Amino acid sequence: MSLTPTLRKSLRKGPLDFQRLGTISRQILNQAQEQIRSMTDAIVTEHLSKQFGQFEALKDLNLTIEPGVCVGYLGPNGAGKTTTIKILTSLLRPTGGKAFLNGIDVVRNPKEALASVGAVVETPQLYPQLTPMEILSYLGQLRGLDSDVIRERSVVLLDEVKMSDSAHKRTGDFSTGMKQRVAIASALLHDPSILIFDEPTIGLDPRGMIEVRELIMQLKERDFTIFMSSHLLYEVQEVCDKVAIVDKGTLLVYDTVANLSNAGEGGVSLTAVEPITAEQCASVQALPNVRSVKRVATSELLITVEGGLSEQSDLLDHVKSIGIRVAFYRPVRSAIEDVYLRLVPEEES
Amino acid sequence: MPPSDLRQMAVVTKYELLKYLRSKRLLIIGALLAILLILNLVVPPTIGSGYDPDPMTFTSGMLAEIGILIVLCATFFGADAIVSEFEQKTGLLLFPNAVKRHVLVLGKFIASAMISVGAVALYYAVTVIAVVAIDGSIAANTSLSFLYALAYVFGILAIAYLFSAIFRSSVYSIVLTFFTFFLILPIIDSLGASIAHFKPWFTLTFASGIVLDILQQPYPVDVVRTVERTFRNTTRTLTVAQYYPSVPQALAVIFVYFIVGLILALYITKRRQM
Repeated sequence: MSLTPTLRKSLRKGPLDFQRLGTISRQILNQAQEQIRSMTDAIVTEHLSKQFGQFEALKDLNLTIEPGVCVGYLGPNGAGKTTTIKILTSLLRPTGGKAFLNGIDVVRNPKEALASVGAVVETPQLYPQLTPMEILSYLGQLRGLDSDVIRERSVVLLDEVKMSDSAHKRTGDFSTGMKQRVAIASALLHDPSILIFDEPTIGLDPRGMIEVRELIMQLKERDFTIFMSSHLLYEVQEVCDKVAIVDKGTLLVYDTVANLSNAGEGGVSLTAVEPITAEQCASVQALPNVRSVKRVATSELLITVEGGLSEQSDLLDHVKSIGIRVAFYRPVRSAIEDVYLRLVPEEES
Repeated sequence: MPPSDLRQMAVVTKYELLKYLRSKRLLIIGALLAILLILNLVVPPTIGSGYDPDPMTFTSGMLAEIGILIVLCATFFGADAIVSEFEQKTGLLLFPNAVKRHVLVLGKFIASAMISVGAVALYYAVTVIAVVAIDGSIAANTSLSFLYALAYVFGILAIAYLFSAIFRSSVYSIVLTFFTFFLILPIIDSLGASIAHFKPWFTLTFASGIVLDILQQPYPVDVVRTVERTFRNTTRTLTVAQYYPSVPQALAVIFVYFIVGLILALYITKRRQM
């Protein structure tokens, strides 16, 4: 274990008395605890900050992501999402703080830290003179993979990202979606333990978005640690275990999707077979978890419910019990959307 | 674990070469080579002037345009080697891999040097074959001239890489590389000698003069003459200077450009953020 400058300074100060011995012991213990924590967690940022001139893109960001967890990183444009990801992938240097990948300082030892990381940052461009197979071969060889392994894995991965047909075509004329798929394949090539995706479905058509989302869900089952930024709250809620919301470079919330779902307010649209009476409407409004009821049409209500899925289920039971014959019952806004909208002011989101 | 830096450098060089071999720029360099050879070997007999019977003069004539070839090689294969990774966002694919930036730069530099050296070597090879076939022997010091040309390739490429590391746009670095070595430095060399009467020993283009000067027997020396001119009863003294780079000094200058250019390119690229 290397000692921090403060600790080294303390030790150099002269003869030890009991008080100094106690202080130094505490410092050593704290440092050891910090190092052990950063070694066991997949991704750790400690007081991470980044300044571009006068603009503070990141302010004292502290985030710890355990191995095997899929974390969605949300925030409005300019919140600091891509800056965080670029620091983690050694594309940017932080102004202050530290970032660790599998316990290795990514600023000090980027080569070692990135050894077990696969990343897709923004929409990377490909070398137009090379084919996807050649690009994977290039990056695979840089990663130290054996030629046979590269060939086998490239075939499998290009098939997974639906790029087999274009595997031997030069990438000059590829669409953004095709480039994104090749980039995703390249991130998975060396079977990394950590995957970092910056807006992985951006630039993809609806089918591509669904396919990439499904791919990420498959990866999640294979125990990868996944850290993905996204604008799409629904996507994050569907794919991720945990959510971190950042705004103006500051982490606003970091919790499990389940906890956030229960903490927020879900919107529910209810369409009945017959017109809903004023009494039925008042009865729904009287329920403890119902915040508001808005009549959209004679047989349709928009209901805001506090809590998560359990409260929405209770509401449905009650609606049926008071004689409303339900034709459609669907969420119009997820609880995470609600949390996001409450935390991130309107002008930014 | 990722392989050693040296192994990674070889991988970068291999794929950079593959990219160059498939690029239109290589075709342009090939076309330029063909044009230069046609001008030197096909045009003289066609217009009836014939070839020079002296191997030294013939070789000097053939190699007179080697500087243009080297400047174009540096422009095409060095001037946007780094900046394009940032500007075209291919760096987003390459940099997040477990590879150090200086390894990428050095791998690219080796590839640029290999392709440029290849072009220069091909031109020298055709020149030697043509001179031997036509005059029966080659000029003395042709091999030294070739070695000096290679040194110039390395020096100019290092500066091209420096421009490529500094600028945010490929256009700027390409234009600056081309005009620096094709126009700006040659103008300084020319004005320095003819007007200011100083020897521009410190410029890379002046130092590159050894590539052709070494073919002359004996090696030329500086000439500074004062000439008196009388015009309308007024006599004026003019100084006419013709400077030649000394070989050790020119090699030292090229070496300094190479080392400083490459080290700065490595440092700036390492610090550069995406």
